[in-house]
Amino acid sequence: MKICIFEDNGFENLYPLTYLRPICGLRCGKTLIFEKIIRAFPDIKISFWVRDYLIKLWRKEVSPLAVNDAEALKNDDTLFINSRWLFIDTKFSIPGNEEIGKMDGEIVYALVKKTQMAAISSGDISIWLAKLKENIQVKEVKVKLITYPWDLVNYNADAIKDDFNAGTAKIEGEFSPQASIYGEKEKVSIGKGAKVHPMVVIDTTHGPVIIDEDAVIYPFTKIEGPSYIGKETQIHGAKVREGSSIGPVCRIGGEVEEVIIHGYSNKYHDGFLGHSYVGEWVNLGALTTNSDIKNDYSPVSVYINGEIMSSGEAKVGSFIGDHTKTSIGTFLNTGTVIGVMTNLIGSGGVLPKFVPSFTWYLNKKFTKGYGYKMLLKTAGVAMSRRGKKLGQEGLDVLNYVYEITKDKREELIARDKMG
Amino acid sequence: MSEVTERVKKVVSRQLKVQPEKINEGSEFVKDLGAESIQSIELVAAFEEEFGITMDEDAALSIKTVGTAIEFIEKHLSEAGKNNE
Repeated sequence: MKICIFEDNGFENLYPLTYLRPICGLRCGKTLIFEKIIRAFPDIKISFWVRDYLIKLWRKEVSPLAVNDAEALKNDDTLFINSRWLFIDTKFSIPGNEEIGKMDGEIVYALVKKTQMAAISSGDISIWLAKLKENIQVKEVKVKLITYPWDLVNYNADAIKDDFNAGTAKIEGEFSPQASIYGEKEKVSIGKGAKVHPMVVIDTTHGPVIIDEDAVIYPFTKIEGPSYIGKETQIHGAKVREGSSIGPVCRIGGEVEEVIIHGYSNKYHDGFLGHSYVGEWVNLGALTTNSDIKNDYSPVSVYINGEIMSSGEAKVGSFIGDHTKTSIGTFLNTGTVIGVMTNLIGSGGVLPKFVPSFTWYLNKKFTKGYGYKMLLKTAGVAMSRRGKKLGQEGLDVLNYVYEITKDKREELIARDKMG
Repeated sequence: MSEVTERVKKVVSRQLKVQPEKINEGSEFVKDLGAESIQSIELVAAFEEEFGITMDEDAALSIKTVGTAIEFIEKHLSEAGKNNE
């Protein structure tokens, strides 16, 4: 038996978060989505099926696991698991016979026997699986399937609790005698090398707090559970409200509430960020603040794959693509979607609700700024400061995304040039 | 003074808030006229808007003085004119 975590076309609804990574590489809780699947099936060999342009980059990320390798799957029964399945609170057990699990018409999983696997080939695996449906029994299931970016944020608190329960809570790092835990002490986990300074308050009354290895929590920070602080991340006197996950090597200050922040991103200074999802290598300037609820409490509308739609949710913040930078005093509206590698200069009012990738927003107008080459150069500098490199695989992905986002970018830049 | 020169100086004056008489073709945007990095981007956008042209990123980065901006724009307009003949 093998497991293949596959992407269906749901990645489009999750832009800009899925431009530079497959869906299963998104964070929810302590871990990335695929890490929860690996944890659930520790003895089964896992592989991936992602969009073509992400193959090389993803191979580098998950090496030695196989990516889009049809040959590796041909000789065994295979359980295909949709990348969007958030594997928490699930009682799933592998079926004995061939079976497709569906929810609202979408494939959640498919167990395919070795005999059928011989026909697998490269290309869009979800099309191949859809064809299989004709021959395999279908079971209606109810699971947590990520459809829109706000789903990740809404499930985050439960995912942190699930991740906490899956591990062993230990206090291995330093916990200052002048720091305090309000609530159950057993709900705090502090990894090796982590330091919790004096005058830090950890509140576990609503859930656990996980502080990963080598993280540093500086004085006057309050962390409410459920929350996760990633490896080598620093929290600088911040209010980390419940339902927040901060990835590795971040710098966080101000106030965050129900946010997911990928690695190597900074929100160092004061300013509020709520109900939001932030990619890697993002820098939010001092006093950058977002709205996550409307004054009339009506559902927040969001641009999803280029079209505005109602989220049906009262609380939705911002979705910020990788390598984006905001200036001091940038204000983001409810449900704002910001592409990858943008530069946003606050001009007093709130920014537009949609910012295409690789643009500058300056004086209330979209421009190309210094252009793509300069954006790459800046990204290179930011990464080298943390001992990382973009690499050819990363560059190829960015080049591809630059092309597929071109039309909308040029349309908005041309519009603002005219007016 | 050519029409392009006059219009370039007007744009520079407006964007950088510098009196027109202090702008000459040898003026460097950063050193002499005090342009910050963000203002350089605003200047390029303003030139594009004023003359209906697109300045590619390499060209935009290579323009350091008012004179080189005038030269670039005149060349661009002349080539565009030839293409439209």
